[in-house]
Amino acid sequence: MRRRSWILSALGATGALVVGWGILPARSRLGTPATMLPTEGDVALNGWIKIGKDGGVILAMPRSEMGQGVHTGLAMLVAEELDLPLSRVRLEQATADKIYGNVRMLLASLPFHPLESEGTNKPAKVRLGEWMVGKIARELGINATGGSSSLADAWDVVPLAAAAARAALLGSAAARWQLPLSELRVVEGRVQHPSGKSAHFGELVADALQNPAPTVLKDRKDWRLIGQSAPRLDIPAKVVGRARFGIDVRLPGMLFASVRMCPMLGGTVATLDDKAALALPGVKQLVRLDAVAGSTEGFAVVAKTSWHARTALQAVIVQWQQRKEGGLDSERIQQNLLNTLKTESGHTFYEKGDAAAAETGAARVIEATYTAPYLAHATMEPMNCTARFLDGRLEVWAPTQVPGFARGVAAKVAGIDVDHVTLHVSYMGGGFGRRLDIDFVAQAVRVAMACNGLPVQLLWSREEDTTHDFYRPLHVAQLSAAVDAQDRISSLRIHSAGDAISPRWMARGLPALAGPFDTPDKSTAEGLFDLPYGFAHQHMAHVATRSGVPVGFWRSVGHSHNAFFSECFIDELAFETQQDPLAFRRALLKDSPRHLAVLNLAAEKAGWGTPLPAGHARGIALHESFGSIVAEVAEVSLQDGKPRVHRVVCAVDCGTVINPALVAQQMESAVIFGLTAALYGRIDIVDGVVQQRNFDSYSMLRLAQAPLVETWAMPSSLAPTGVGEPGLPPLAPAVANALFVLTAKRQRALPLQV
Amino acid sequence: MQLTINGQTLEVDAEPEMPILWMLRDVLHLTGTKFGCGIAACGACTVQLDGQAVRSCVLPVSAAAGKTITTIEALAKDGVSHPLQTAWIAEQVPQCGYCQSGMLMAAAALLEKNKHPSDADIDAAMTNICRCGSYQRVRAAIHRAALAMRGSAA
Repeated sequence: MRRRSWILSALGATGALVVGWGILPARSRLGTPATMLPTEGDVALNGWIKIGKDGGVILAMPRSEMGQGVHTGLAMLVAEELDLPLSRVRLEQATADKIYGNVRMLLASLPFHPLESEGTNKPAKVRLGEWMVGKIARELGINATGGSSSLADAWDVVPLAAAAARAALLGSAAARWQLPLSELRVVEGRVQHPSGKSAHFGELVADALQNPAPTVLKDRKDWRLIGQSAPRLDIPAKVVGRARFGIDVRLPGMLFASVRMCPMLGGTVATLDDKAALALPGVKQLVRLDAVAGSTEGFAVVAKTSWHARTALQAVIVQWQQRKEGGLDSERIQQNLLNTLKTESGHTFYEKGDAAAAETGAARVIEATYTAPYLAHATMEPMNCTARFLDGRLEVWAPTQVPGFARGVAAKVAGIDVDHVTLHVSYMGGGFGRRLDIDFVAQAVRVAMACNGLPVQLLWSREEDTTHDFYRPLHVAQLSAAVDAQDRISSLRIHSAGDAISPRWMARGLPALAGPFDTPDKSTAEGLFDLPYGFAHQHMAHVATRSGVPVGFWRSVGHSHNAFFSECFIDELAFETQQDPLAFRRALLKDSPRHLAVLNLAAEKAGWGTPLPAGHARGIALHESFGSIVAEVAEVSLQDGKPRVHRVVCAVDCGTVINPALVAQQMESAVIFGLTAALYGRIDIVDGVVQQRNFDSYSMLRLAQAPLVETWAMPSSLAPTGVGEPGLPPLAPAVANALFVLTAKRQRALPLQV
Repeated sequence: MQLTINGQTLEVDAEPEMPILWMLRDVLHLTGTKFGCGIAACGACTVQLDGQAVRSCVLPVSAAAGKTITTIEALAKDGVSHPLQTAWIAEQVPQCGYCQSGMLMAAAALLEKNKHPSDADIDAAMTNICRCGSYQRVRAAIHRAALAMRGSAA
């Protein structure tokens, strides 16, 4: 996910500090052995790598596994550099040290156009921005799993840490055997010499730090793991029911809490009568919940099982009160945004030539207005957290994408020092950005404070989860293009509006760093200002609003709707100028060879232009997000008047592919997630109340409707970039563009309506 | 009350109207079965009752009297993986994995009564929700397991 405005805010507030940091040497992210937790029989060689007595390797794992395969991906980097079988890498939750902060995620928050920020010849402002934000990111050390950045970030440090460990082990062997380093090799986790001398890592680690050999990163031609499909490390536990999610924490004496919040977002409890509820069997107590970390006020019932708690919740007699500003209304918000486009120019994120003048002098101007609704995340595992407050110390078990923020809010709610909070990060039953927020952690701690030292698991119902999300914000955009008498298009102008996400999120997660005012938030404009197409005149501006609806990061964030706006409009332009959508895009990508190659690959593998069964049509879309470029071709028909997507061909350039199987899995995942949103996804808010409550009203795509997804990855020697999100943005426009072929009706609003 | 769960007959401290899901998870601490929606819409809580796939979030404990409950924890028999579990690994089905216990229990019930399911049979039987989009791999893994089971039966 994207953090940008707060960085700029922080720059303003702490400019002097930044200059001070600037002259300090770069903070090393390798850490020291003391950075890792000491464990019996294991020896740490730096902040990332420990060697076990048995010769196995332990990796400090700072990133959260929510299905994206990050645990396997990072372990592969270690196994590669240490020449160890992947199965011999074990994972240990990283400590709260700053070396585990996600630097790449913060760097990606800079609002630079990819044409400037990708490649080797970067302008000075880009280099300065990256240098400064990189420095700040290392100092802040925010550990977050999001923004499809885990591998990109790990790439900068994990191979180096593993290579340093390898060098130490080789140095140790050379000293012990009195043999030249150059004659030693590492094979399958053992250091070997042609004379027959051989030892596993555990036998060499004792004096490894005393005899360091030079650290040398492996040459890419010597890779044996990277680039090969490797099975995920977490799957065996997930097919036998043994993988432990947040909801699966079980502790002696544990109690269970269930939650009701004011159904009107931002509303409060007016009156509450818990007598009947407390008289029910198995019920322990009721705990009032204040609005904290962005949540809405409510209460929790604590009982001996979740069922007793859930049952008792319904017996609480409560009167809710609307927030004082009045009830939120999504239809009114959309109308306000459309009006805003008429009155406010917004922040210009990108400008080239003079798009307004091009329209004035044009033979005709093509214009369209697009909209996208609020969306909930609907992770399969509802929000939950387990906490125990005992003797002034807090222990928390949380499925979270932001362990540092979670510890921070836990300490704040408990009124204790953050050093007295122990946080265990569990597997997550989906994240998709929802678990970048920590409201449920704050609630669990609040309840645990009232439970006399007993552990309590707080679990939301699906209804609370759907009606108290941090929603993907509603967005609108106006797009226009100047066409001359020969049907040539000279300009593209985009004007969009919607709520800013980053400043609201920052205020919830790390209030101390929230800026005094909102600076331009890239997360809502991304996917509109950073397009690869070579129109001579371009202007992209975004109006950041603040509606009061709790908004958050939703898988692929601004790209998720902006690609629908831009790629559908590109399709409109092709049609209006009587060109094939593929040929039209190709002609605009002369200066974007990577994009062109990805587009061509998808078209070729999908058989663009070849005959289809009667009633089927193809649509195409291309989009870059999180450093990766994805093109998708969707094959669609209408069944009983409803869109049916049969096949989606994805081509992706995500730099160096670490594990092709994981890339394919993430493309499949993003397509299904994107298709669910495109066909069904909408959250309506009426008088402050979210109307969709469970899977009966907030529908999900199921197996019978799932298309077959094919993935083709471009070979690349660039550094790896994201795969968790980039497959999502092109899906909706690819399907919408196919629907236009079938129906001759343009789709300008989500979800798609035939 | 007395219940037979995963081959063991147990005296369980649960009210008859308590849904089987919460009895399994919060009373017996058998956490492989998941909570997803509470209205039998998503299938994360799927277990087998006398070999039939049922959604345990809405089925009261009383419905299990005299019957046998089987959960994901007992899908493997005597330490031997069910062919579906082997196929799930071969096809690399799970991502977050949260829905997969329910998927596996629904698939196992399907293969109990249909040794050679068609795509349409799988469409009809597998109505569980997966937010990670593992659907095409679920389908492939069921076909793979069915083939393996027919092979070993021949």
